[in-house]
Amino acid sequence: MPSDIPPDESGKVELGPKASPSGKSRRVSLLPRQRKIEQERVDALTQGRKALLCVDNVSVSFDGFKAITDLTLILDEGELRCIIGPNGAGKTTLQDIITGKTKPDAGSVFLVGDNTDLTELSEYEIAERGICRKFQRPTVFQGHSVFENLELALPGKKGVFASLFARLSKAQRERIDEVLETIGLTEQKHSAAGLLSHGQKQWLEIGMLLAQEPRVLLVDEPVAGMTHQETEKTAELLSSLAGKRTVVVVEHDMEFVRSIARTVTVLHEGKILAEGSMDAVQNNPKVIEVYLGGAH
Amino acid sequence: MNVKAELLRLLPRKGWIGLGAAALICFLVPILNSVTAPGSAAHVPDYLVALIGKFLCFAIVAVAMDLLWGYTGILSLGHGVFFALGGYAMGMYLMLSIGEAGVYRSKLPDFMVFLDWKELPWFWKPFGNFGFALVAALLGPGLLAYVFGFLAFRSRIRGVYFSIITQAFTYALMLLFFRNETGVGGNNGLTNFKRLYGYSLAESSTKLGLYTLSAVGLLVVFLLCRFIVVSKAGRVLCAIRDEESRSRFAGYNPTSYKLFVYTLSAVICGFAGALYVPQVGIINPSEFQPSSSIEMAIWVAVGERASLLGGVLGAFVVNGAKSWFTVALPEAWLYVLGVLFIAVTLFFPGGLASLILRKKAAT
Repeated sequence: MPSDIPPDESGKVELGPKASPSGKSRRVSLLPRQRKIEQERVDALTQGRKALLCVDNVSVSFDGFKAITDLTLILDEGELRCIIGPNGAGKTTLQDIITGKTKPDAGSVFLVGDNTDLTELSEYEIAERGICRKFQRPTVFQGHSVFENLELALPGKKGVFASLFARLSKAQRERIDEVLETIGLTEQKHSAAGLLSHGQKQWLEIGMLLAQEPRVLLVDEPVAGMTHQETEKTAELLSSLAGKRTVVVVEHDMEFVRSIARTVTVLHEGKILAEGSMDAVQNNPKVIEVYLGGAH
Repeated sequence: MNVKAELLRLLPRKGWIGLGAAALICFLVPILNSVTAPGSAAHVPDYLVALIGKFLCFAIVAVAMDLLWGYTGILSLGHGVFFALGGYAMGMYLMLSIGEAGVYRSKLPDFMVFLDWKELPWFWKPFGNFGFALVAALLGPGLLAYVFGFLAFRSRIRGVYFSIITQAFTYALMLLFFRNETGVGGNNGLTNFKRLYGYSLAESSTKLGLYTLSAVGLLVVFLLCRFIVVSKAGRVLCAIRDEESRSRFAGYNPTSYKLFVYTLSAVICGFAGALYVPQVGIINPSEFQPSSSIEMAIWVAVGERASLLGGVLGAFVVNGAKSWFTVALPEAWLYVLGVLFIAVTLFFPGGLASLILRKKAAT
């Protein structure tokens, strides 16, 4: 632990990537590096469940602040999981780790079957393996049309030369139209994404994830800033996805969580405080304490 | 494949008409220069042909800069490096092709005789071959850009930090090329060229040939960049410019896209430099000055970012103004450039091309 090093907030110019807090640095070797998780470890974690994504004993700290401590989370195939927790519980950091934005100090993340340690890979390689993410703030390509946003999200070869000569096939066009239909933006097909309303941008971003045909969808506060109606539609959409894909929703809006959740995981100070059905979790004395100690 | 549909994908009908008109004007210049008699109203004087030829080379650079800055959002303030390196590769060939016709009647280039060197340094030898010099003018800048870009983009250096580093980069190379020991003519650079591939550079037919090559070069580079911009790769570039992290989570690797565009733009600048040097007859380290690279960015800013045509327009307007002012009011030029830059930024943030094209606001 670099306890005697002062935190890096002295206005120093940050040239490179957000430095990994300690330990693993980003991309040192030029050769592709991949580490496979041993099958024994996989079996021990999954214990015969139909597990898809495993977060195994992950820890990360930022300048001495432990954002996540020894966290283990196992998500099943086709599951819809809600993650709740007070501010600073580590919800966003957990997603950063799964998608490769943050490198943990210890532990591993992997997809069952693939068994490659995802913490060694960069964001685009993880995305290629079918883990997609929706940001808290709606993040779409503002200058592009709604159609082009979805086009860029479609799965396929994403290298430079493949893109130079890429043409949309009929099937791909139909797929885009289908997604447009699902997210209700068919009429806005050709308008610039930057001109959409906040709620529409949220939907477009969800649509981009759908177009990517992911195995795991990470959705960070999907209904923030949405009207009641939009929230209901979003709940419907996410529920309908479960079964086909593994969906992880991080949300503050408890009513929304209740409307979609089957299993809820409560995070607190970087650890799992409770896990179970919404009712069980809500009656859990530890959870009540954490939440009542706060704003409730 | 349907050729017509492909061409219309590349440029709309009006675009092709405009391009044809521009090409026609470009090719009228040498015709009006050689066919009409000096003194007649339609005559284009030699100095004007040389000037436009120079501008065409600058316009090639501007198109490459626009691809990099306008579309990908990478502001390189060191592209003068690649232009100059292309120029030096061509200059070295031109020096060797002088043969024994130099001032000292030696096989060695004059500056080497002057420095009392006895033989040609090893790295000069292959430049006696025109093909090698041409390949070096393209691949030299390309290779350097690839290595520099690889290190910079892999470490995720971007925005203003990247611009500053590229400024330092061009400055460092300027100091290197100023040294006599570097072996490319020191602060005088390379000059007094006589022949290019057997053709005398003093002949007006050679000059017109070089002019025509520049015009064709600009056309080819423009269409190449246009091809990239309208492809899906072009949309990925803009996506990286606007929302890099989203593009990453959508499965694209911004590093390889940036590296591709950066390297390609360097190759194009090397090509422009190689065309430029035989037309102006000199290459020296002043091309590495940080201000030359900044001017390249100003061409694009004044023209219009993210519109290849804007780059061409900007290169012509700024350099046209420069040619006029440095003769009429030499002291005023830098002020004029500054005012032009500020005025365009303040009043036509879209750039001059947006005024002409009357494009609807995109965002």
